[in-house]
Amino acid sequence: MAHRSRLSMNEHPDQAGHSGPDHPRIPVGIEEFFAALAMALICLITFANVLVRYFTDESFAFTEEFSVFLMVVLTFFGASAAFAKNVHIRVSFFVDKLKPALAHKIEIGVMMIALVLFAIIAGYGVRLLLDDWNYETTSPGIGIPQWIYTLWLPLLAALIDLRIAGRLVRLLRHKIS
Amino acid sequence: MLIGSLILFLGFTVLLLLGAPLGVALGAAGTAVILTEGLGIMSVPTNVYAGLAKYPLLALPVFILAGMIFERAGVALRIVNFTSALVGNRRGGQGIVAVLVCMLLGGMSGSGPADAAAVAMVMIPGMAKQGYPRAFSASLIAAAGSTAILIPPSIAFIVYSILVPTASVPALFAAGFIPGMLAGLALIIPVLYLSLREGWGAQSVEEKIPVWQSFKEASWGLLAPVIILGGLRSGVFTPTEAAVVAVFYGLFVGLVVYRSLSWRDVYNVLVVSAEISAVVMIIISLAGVFAHAGSTLGAFDAFAHTLIGITSAEWLMLAMIMIMLLIAGMLLDAVSIFLVFLPILIPIANAFHWDLVWFGVLMTMNMAIGQFTPPMAVNLMVTSRIAGISIESTVQWVMWFVVSMLLALTLVAAMPQLALWLPQTLGY
Repeated sequence: MAHRSRLSMNEHPDQAGHSGPDHPRIPVGIEEFFAALAMALICLITFANVLVRYFTDESFAFTEEFSVFLMVVLTFFGASAAFAKNVHIRVSFFVDKLKPALAHKIEIGVMMIALVLFAIIAGYGVRLLLDDWNYETTSPGIGIPQWIYTLWLPLLAALIDLRIAGRLVRLLRHKIS
Repeated sequence: MLIGSLILFLGFTVLLLLGAPLGVALGAAGTAVILTEGLGIMSVPTNVYAGLAKYPLLALPVFILAGMIFERAGVALRIVNFTSALVGNRRGGQGIVAVLVCMLLGGMSGSGPADAAAVAMVMIPGMAKQGYPRAFSASLIAAAGSTAILIPPSIAFIVYSILVPTASVPALFAAGFIPGMLAGLALIIPVLYLSLREGWGAQSVEEKIPVWQSFKEASWGLLAPVIILGGLRSGVFTPTEAAVVAVFYGLFVGLVVYRSLSWRDVYNVLVVSAEISAVVMIIISLAGVFAHAGSTLGAFDAFAHTLIGITSAEWLMLAMIMIMLLIAGMLLDAVSIFLVFLPILIPIANAFHWDLVWFGVLMTMNMAIGQFTPPMAVNLMVTSRIAGISIESTVQWVMWFVVSMLLALTLVAAMPQLALWLPQTLGY
């Protein structure tokens, strides 16, 4: 996949050092930690489920609901780190052929669209949360209040928006003549 | 409706070509349509969540993690040693080893570039000593690595099944098996021909490795596909559970048997695989918005019927779709292509009564070829960088593999039973 090559390229930072638009000042290690934690928990829960079913014939398949929630958390934390490091999948073939100054302007425009998109997700995610809170929706599997899950959508979308905003600031500062 | 469809498709295409992250292009185009056509803004956050929160999708991050653990544990190196010992020193021997190893690793991880990178790092220096040009080795390993998305377990098939629920993951995995073997064979034939013509691998430089000893070392790795596919076949595990069992098996091999992994490595593998999965899954999530907007408008059906209106000849339509996918495969990875094209292609496939499992295999084969077709080939970029050569220098070699894989694709297109026989026999 396209991003893999980008990831390994980032292991060898170019001469520009750690000041370019692809190097955030707030360490992405925070998001990386939570994404890795979610991944580890998914594996542990699923493995425990396999073991329990094998030894006792009982299943706690309702944990699927929690694993799926963890996958959502993993995705948003990971995507946040990926925005900061600029490793999202994209078609750079055509933009790379443009003059750097023009490509830079296009990148700023694209990031502004991304900023608006995640602001919409965060903003209306709050309304989704309020709906689940007011109507006391419960989750289909375990039966706990649904807002415990829905809460994370606006929170993590806002986190992604902060990372996009940070990248925009760095792009605007990093003038290309 | 026409305006909405235009915003949807044109908006997406323009954003994509301007280099917007794919998920942003899908999500923004979908949201713009939902706003202008008044489809209800609440469907944006709802579909972002619902597009992602699907149990079968859990197999995706876990298979990515499993593949990465096997790669870091040093399974690739030991499998290369074993296959080398088995094939021996003969003309074209190392070339065939490269193909077989890529296919075996494809049975553990589900993605091509990771396999190609692991094998290229282990094999290209040795192949160079035996006279294989670096550009040839890089081309071959790029092509062989692309078979990973055909050979089960395959990330591409998991995503296809999410979007086309009538095609189950086990059925797709089984259907990919014979076409995957066929693709491997399509690579081995030109390797043999070229090696005999050019005399590569005639002189033995490296000392012989005893077969038995190398088998003992590699056996831990060779067992992994058996556990994954055996567990799936017997119905003991769901795909996600099979992936999790593979993760713990890989950890056992890396931490206890080979002692090649430290706990620090384990944390790093968790981080990298979580991030790679997230980059794919955020696209799936935002594609939910795009798909909701398009299907509510009826834009996908309308577009599909326009295409069907162009030609009612089945084979011509199939050929057109294949060419379009081949071009798309040069620019994007398989998962992204499914998300973008399937909403339009499924109505077409249904109109012609194509089997959706077979169609999934055909699409995936196309994308496998796209992964190593210059100039925008992901796999080829990875292996060329490891070999230290330019992509241009691979063109004279890689075109052999492109052509032979296209022949294999044509064979599967002409004879659907090549894909469908195995899943039917297994009763999926």
